Amino acid sequence: MLEWLQQSSVAVQIRDSLYSFPLLESIHVVGLALVFGTIAILDLRLLGLASTNRAVSRILADLLTWTWVAFVVTAATGGLMFITNAVVYFNNTFFRAKMILLVLAGLNMLVFELTARKTMARWDTERSAPPIGKVVATLSLLIWVGVIVAGRVIGFTATRAAAPVDEAAPDVDFEDLLGLPK
Amino acid sequence: MQQFALWLAATPPSVFIQEHNAWTIPAIQSIHIVGIALVMGSVLMIDLRILGWAWTDQTLRQTTNRFGPWLSGSLWLLLVTGLLMVIGEPVRELVTFSFWLKMALVAIGTLVAVAFQRTLRRQEQHWEARLVHRRSIKAMAILTFLVWVCVIFLGRLIAYDHVWGSWSPAPRL
Repeated sequence: MLEWLQQSSVAVQIRDSLYSFPLLESIHVVGLALVFGTIAILDLRLLGLASTNRAVSRILADLLTWTWVAFVVTAATGGLMFITNAVVYFNNTFFRAKMILLVLAGLNMLVFELTARKTMARWDTERSAPPIGKVVATLSLLIWVGVIVAGRVIGFTATRAAAPVDEAAPDVDFEDLLGLPK
Repeated sequence: MQQFALWLAATPPSVFIQEHNAWTIPAIQSIHIVGIALVMGSVLMIDLRILGWAWTDQTLRQTTNRFGPWLSGSLWLLLVTGLLMVIGEPVRELVTFSFWLKMALVAIGTLVAVAFQRTLRRQEQHWEARLVHRRSIKAMAILTFLVWVCVIFLGRLIAYDHVWGSWSPAPRL
């Protein structure tokens, strides 16, 4: 399955292109910035730390579409990056950690939907959410920061495993490469 | 610039970051990305308020009071972590086309944000009643958002400066 993904024509095209992977990474960062940026606004509101003059339901209504659109864009670009080197990513510890954290973020959201969200009419305009809402908000912030950290570390661990740096060039003279006068 | 980068790379703080690069670089970059997310969230909300797509029950001033401090705080965080990256990997950062174009766009984005905050404070009534409804102002909101999107692209492209071909001063290995 992973091998098949890696051999797919889409994966090959991305790998062969000079521009595709950097472009995918850039869009991925824009997307994740909007995902975390909008989620943080809601979490801080639930914790009573920001936007306390606005009802939680209003903030949810303002943010939700943007969060989901950004999430879909981030997941799509992430998926495309994954298939270019599926075996390596799949076996990468930080990739696995990131996937687990994403599942936890989803479960955390589900807890919110099943608990605090149901009684929201009662605390909508309160300064902060009930305790369970605050726990969910705190966990959400921590999990998403974890997703960002794990994601960044994948870039340092997976690509190295995929394309080991040529050990035959240990004494590259940078001054020479830069064309500096000696 | 190359000489300056090489000099910087030999300074003690730079040597420290390089010697511990297994954790320093990913840690600094991760904090930098969190900062980027806070900037993008704040800029998106202020721009959506100008466009009339969100925060519409709040005045423009209320919206900038909510997000302005987060925007400027995050920009300072980005400056600090960004400087640490330059100190840690001076040649990789400074000898690229992407980095300098990014700095130019960061300067433009920041200037626009500061100018906007100032004129809003001075002409609050005029902004709330008229300016915010102008098409040119709404176009500016979209444009400044795109500037920050470009900043993110260029930040990522520092690692892939070869995409600029002969515009990139980076040595081709």
